[in-house]
Amino acid sequence: MLEVESISTFYGEFQAIHDVSLQVPQGSLVSIFGPNGHGKSTLLKTICGLMKPATGVIRFDGREIQGLPTHKLVEMGVVLISEERHLFPEMTVMENLRLGAYAKTARKKEKENFEFVFDMFPKLKILSKKAAQTLSGGEARMLAIGRGLMSNARFLAIDEPSFGLAPILRTQVFEQIVALKNRGLSILLVEQTTGDIAERSDYIYLLEDGRIAFSGDKDQALHDDVVRKVFLGIT
Amino acid sequence: MREFVEVLITGFTIGIVYFLVAVGFTLCYGVGRVLNYSYGSFFTWGAYLAWVIAVGYAKLNYILVFIIVLPITFMMGLVVDRIIIRPLRSRPEFDFSVLLATLGIAVFLDNLVLVIFGARTKSLPEFLKGSVSIGGFTISWQLLTMFIFATVVAVALFLFIAKTRTGQSMRAVAQDPTGARIVGIPLYRIYAITFGISTMLCGAGGILLAPRFFMTPLGGWTFLVKALIIVIAGGLGSLKGTLYASFLLGVLEALVGWKFGLLWVMPAWFIVLFLVLLIRPAGLFGSIARKA
Repeated sequence: MLEVESISTFYGEFQAIHDVSLQVPQGSLVSIFGPNGHGKSTLLKTICGLMKPATGVIRFDGREIQGLPTHKLVEMGVVLISEERHLFPEMTVMENLRLGAYAKTARKKEKENFEFVFDMFPKLKILSKKAAQTLSGGEARMLAIGRGLMSNARFLAIDEPSFGLAPILRTQVFEQIVALKNRGLSILLVEQTTGDIAERSDYIYLLEDGRIAFSGDKDQALHDDVVRKVFLGIT
Repeated sequence: MREFVEVLITGFTIGIVYFLVAVGFTLCYGVGRVLNYSYGSFFTWGAYLAWVIAVGYAKLNYILVFIIVLPITFMMGLVVDRIIIRPLRSRPEFDFSVLLATLGIAVFLDNLVLVIFGARTKSLPEFLKGSVSIGGFTISWQLLTMFIFATVVAVALFLFIAKTRTGQSMRAVAQDPTGARIVGIPLYRIYAITFGISTMLCGAGGILLAPRFFMTPLGGWTFLVKALIIVIAGGLGSLKGTLYASFLLGVLEALVGWKFGLLWVMPAWFIVLFLVLLIRPAGLFGSIARKA
């Protein structure tokens, strides 16, 4: 469904992504792990159109999408849930969610998606009239994920969904992500540490220094020297 | 006493028009991050286009002046955004380069006025002659129509920003441009529309205030400075502050003009700006901690 073929991305002179290729098949959950500052977020931003790759091809449903503006991608169903959240601080929770359904395709299913989001995060319903800037870190993260889900995406790129969440909520979010996958969404997830999301992933990539250092399914990952060294601390 | 109240009414009316001009300037900066040095030129163009339609080449009435001139100043904004400002956005140092670019646009637009209309001052006659007596106070029809037109435009603007999808997108872009892109808002289209709306508001100010001042090709600069003073005195980014500052300075202008002559208006404005900043360094309703 989503194919990335040897893309490279730069910040000015600095190359953040080196010749990365990966695939997210229809209805699968693929995870990218890697230390902080090794290009994970940049990779997601490149896929979702917030940054342009210098070289390489990105295909979505067979169509080349690299370099397309973000709003075109959102309409096609390629949506980013950013680690930096990027909420609209002076708007209410409700307004933020409603803007999540900005694309034409999403507006038709707005009601349905509202129910789905409030089902997933009942707290957002209680907070619906509060301004986004008054939310706590965990609440803001929920809102960012909720807003992403309002978009009626077919492909979700989720950047560190568990960052800043309490452990209980963290597990809950991971379970919800698996539920999303089971509804047929294709998900590309980024996390710093493997933890329990690795077990739930269909496929795992390890990104180091902007390069793919490992790729394989979770069983292979557990037995791979590089992964064991970087993440599990086992030598 | 009666004269005093009439001066106050005049002040409030000018205040609303200044509000339109100032709010367009803030929008352009708040949403599009463009500190628009060419803003005054659109004021000049609004006034001259009104003159063309009402005096120079046709003798159409003022409602038609609005219907024709406002879309033109809107389109001018779109064109400037598309060919000058948008290409700069993808480059580094946008904040600074756009400052110089808009300065260039100002020089171009002002000189275009000079080439087409010449250097001699022009004046727009009053919209309507005569006056009306309300509760013992005499208010000229001119002032009343000015008040009505400006209020209609201001209310329409507020409804547009609060209720429409485009208005909501503009607010979203102002609060977090990246967030706006993530939810699928076409950023460049919103920038363009915002720029067009801002130049249109300035053009509306030009039409409404032209009968009060003589028109010259460089006349718009005064109103760029006035918009800046209002925006700073009110507190950068605060609509409420812009509204209060517009009324405050509009009334001040009327009072000073009445007692000391129009020559003292600008010094008075600067003194008030100075005093406001002395007491509240971020402006009437601004907060220093406000996120950029």
